[in-house]
Amino acid sequence: MLKRLSLIVGLCVAGAALAACDEKLSTLAGPTPGLEPTFSSIQRDIFESTDSAGRSACTNCHTSTGRTPAGGINLIHDVAYDQLVNAPVRGRVGAIRVIPGDPDNSYLIQKLEGRADIVGRRMPFNGPPFLTDGQILIIRRWIAIGAPRN
Amino acid sequence: MRRVSTLSAALLVLACTFAAPSIVRAQAPADDDPAVLRLAEPDFTLIGLPTSLRLPTFGSSFRVTHRFTRPLGQGDFGDLAGDFFGIDSGAQIGLEYRFGLVKNGQVVFHRTSTRTIQFSGQYSVLRQSGGAPVDVSALVTIEGTNNFRDSYSPAVGAIISRDIGTFAAFYVEPIWVNNTNPFPTQLVDHNNTFMVGIGARIRLLPTVYITGEVAPTSGYRPGQTHGAFAIEKRVGGHLFQLNFSDNIGTTMAQIARGGPPQNDWFMGFNISRKFF
Repeated sequence: MLKRLSLIVGLCVAGAALAACDEKLSTLAGPTPGLEPTFSSIQRDIFESTDSAGRSACTNCHTSTGRTPAGGINLIHDVAYDQLVNAPVRGRVGAIRVIPGDPDNSYLIQKLEGRADIVGRRMPFNGPPFLTDGQILIIRRWIAIGAPRN
Repeated sequence: MRRVSTLSAALLVLACTFAAPSIVRAQAPADDDPAVLRLAEPDFTLIGLPTSLRLPTFGSSFRVTHRFTRPLGQGDFGDLAGDFFGIDSGAQIGLEYRFGLVKNGQVVFHRTSTRTIQFSGQYSVLRQSGGAPVDVSALVTIEGTNNFRDSYSPAVGAIISRDIGTFAAFYVEPIWVNNTNPFPTQLVDHNNTFMVGIGARIRLLPTVYITGEVAPTSGYRPGQTHGAFAIEKRVGGHLFQLNFSDNIGTTMAQIARGGPPQNDWFMGFNISRKFF
């Protein structure tokens, strides 16, 4: 009886020990291994950084420092959130840059994915390289969970 | 709604079955020998789900599974016949070896042609032949993709079964599968799947069976609920099974994820052979 109980407990312990398996976010994030689905991380690793794959920082053009922000969108960290979330798109009536909870209809995602109906070019402007599928997936997740200012 | 009704009816039938007294009080103490053929439970799996059949210590069993990837509903009947009901298409193939490591305990190696490898351990805790109302086995599995190098999905569960004489066996299998979602937890709402496998095997003729199983799930469930049915022929230590399922998966995580969302059905077969 004790032997049987030991085996059952052993099986349960083994199961519990193994029950923490998960894919690593850093693997998915590729050239920006620190990228997480938070606004501060997206701001740091995507908007303001050129990544190891050679993708340009968004703030090379979308900045008010020394120039007029391209496309009328300023992504420097003090104003980026308000420029994106629930903000209308200039030159495209009815489009919203980031619709909390709705990544598919958020114009930011459409521009990053380069959908056929966008105005202008796919972003980043001088791509490729563009954002990887994994990087876009992480930005999508931030929008899907409500695009919090975190 | 029809799915819910069907499920309710299945649960009701199972509840009645498990509550009913044995028609034949399992075949005497000698039947506790795992080497003795159990007519109602001739194999270690139903179609994809495991049974509580025990292996003799140091006994073994081999199984090959095929799930042809051509959906049966693609095109018209002429197209289907032209593809020989899917046999002309590719298949997800599984190879399985099962070994009786200790008394009442077995370990299983299962590899699919998608390069997923699953290791399982199963231990019989209660036996109907020992006077219990049901057989109960504990089940632990872990699978990994890319030849067990990526995306590990462990599972723990129980296999509860009841033989009705020598002509039927019924199964309820609550199983929790971790990391069924291929994405990191930071990107998903659910990373685990809890499923309740429900199945039955009915002996129509002395060596011919029909088998069915379904595995309703909660948690991460991207596809159709796994369901399958089959007809089988037992020949000595072999069991030949022709099956139809809405899911080509044969490992726990693959079953938990379910079939394609568009509810395709696929033909396949299992062949198993006991070595004891």
